[in-house]
Amino acid sequence: MTKDGKIELMAPAGNFESLQAALDNGCDSVYFGVEQLNMRARASINFEMNDLPEISRRCKEKGVRTYLTLNTIIYDHDLTIIKTLLQKAKEADITAVIAMDQAVIMVARSLGIEVHISTQINITNIETAKFYAMFADTIVLSRELSLRQVKKIYEQIVKDQIKGPSGNLIEIEIFGHGALCMAVSGKCYMSLHAFNSSANRGACKQNCRKPYKVIDQETGFEMEIDNEYIMSPQDLCTIDFLDKIKDAGVKVLKLEGRGRAPEYVAKVVKCYREAIDSLEDGTYSKEKVNDWMNELEKVYNRGFWSGYYLGQKLGAWSDGPGSQATQKKVYIAKGMHFYPKAMIGEFKMEAYDLKVGDTILITGPTTGAQELIVEEMFVNDQKGEKAQKGDLITIKFPFRIRPSDKLYKIVENS
Amino acid sequence: MIIITLQRPKCIGCNYCVELAPAQFQMSKKDGKAVLLHSVEKKGFHTIKLADENILEATLKASEACPTKIISVKQT
Repeated sequence: MTKDGKIELMAPAGNFESLQAALDNGCDSVYFGVEQLNMRARASINFEMNDLPEISRRCKEKGVRTYLTLNTIIYDHDLTIIKTLLQKAKEADITAVIAMDQAVIMVARSLGIEVHISTQINITNIETAKFYAMFADTIVLSRELSLRQVKKIYEQIVKDQIKGPSGNLIEIEIFGHGALCMAVSGKCYMSLHAFNSSANRGACKQNCRKPYKVIDQETGFEMEIDNEYIMSPQDLCTIDFLDKIKDAGVKVLKLEGRGRAPEYVAKVVKCYREAIDSLEDGTYSKEKVNDWMNELEKVYNRGFWSGYYLGQKLGAWSDGPGSQATQKKVYIAKGMHFYPKAMIGEFKMEAYDLKVGDTILITGPTTGAQELIVEEMFVNDQKGEKAQKGDLITIKFPFRIRPSDKLYKIVENS
Repeated sequence: MIIITLQRPKCIGCNYCVELAPAQFQMSKKDGKAVLLHSVEKKGFHTIKLADENILEATLKASEACPTKIISVKQT
């Protein structure tokens, strides 16, 4: 919960681009992994230990809380790195750690670090919530609960005054948007079984996202299934019933997507920021929800459903192997130079073409993810309408451009 | 001659290589990642050349089992 009593909007950050995109679009907190012991263990979507002070600095500047995810299963050989990581997190003044294993919880508490209980622990009732309140101030409930069940847990927390180590009532966090999987609270054996690649060590190969046939081994009869993607649920979206989520006593809304691109983080954070704010100022409406849904459909999604929150019996399965986003980005140019007085950015075209009127996306570790429409541009120092591979282009920007930036064109997905 | 390479920075510490080829791999208690015993490190790649061809089968199993595919085994 934020200081002014709003639902806290928690954004994913897999790298500095996404972190900056989350900060620029109004998140209240961010969660991220460092090194290997989190549910997205692959190095490409993780920070390194030395990044902790910079993450902390950028977030503190905006009053944003920082949560380190350390929520895989833990083996004996991990115990030293856990201590090292948590010590570094404490030194960098990271707000809290999201934990699953008792070893992580114990080390964090011994260092005086705030603990949040990961959804991997699968809290589904008030007694379990009470148990973890001995160690944690925020609990992420199981993804499989209905809002009616969430509300009952919340009411009991208030009634019994269940407080965490901070002395405040424990807060309920739920997943608000993004990928769901068929496994109960992510505890899945499928990837490990097929590829030796354990989801519970952050290395899920997502083989549930493929189409499968169900065959009777005795007769060879193939079951007819309307939708082949029988193990791949659609993505969760709650923007159309945030009022019910607030009513259920949820204090923290987590957006999934540490493996997603920075423009995904930017778009989803922006929509949910507006939605949470409009809930508070009384302007939350169907029209606005429609607009947000249109925006959310532009970035990565497998189609949307409301998860288990509204009490549906069965999941809604996706009807394709990947994203159904209505838009995609195409890489076209790299950042070269920025003229700060005139706010002009220079880019070198490396692929495809660019026209005046096109929507472009600039991403970079410090720039984050910024979208704008090209209203005017210079091509090889001459005012031009169209640029091609090899051209040098300059465009006026309302923000700073850096040599590490990449320029993409946003195009409709056919 | 068997050449084994481990791209250590990408290791997620799953322990499979140690289970399958314990003579060549150990888990580091310092950072929780696999260690290719007696190897030489260059830019994150740890390499060792071994004359004993008997280790081939076990190290190949470790290479196949590795979820991040960072172990390579070559026979020359």
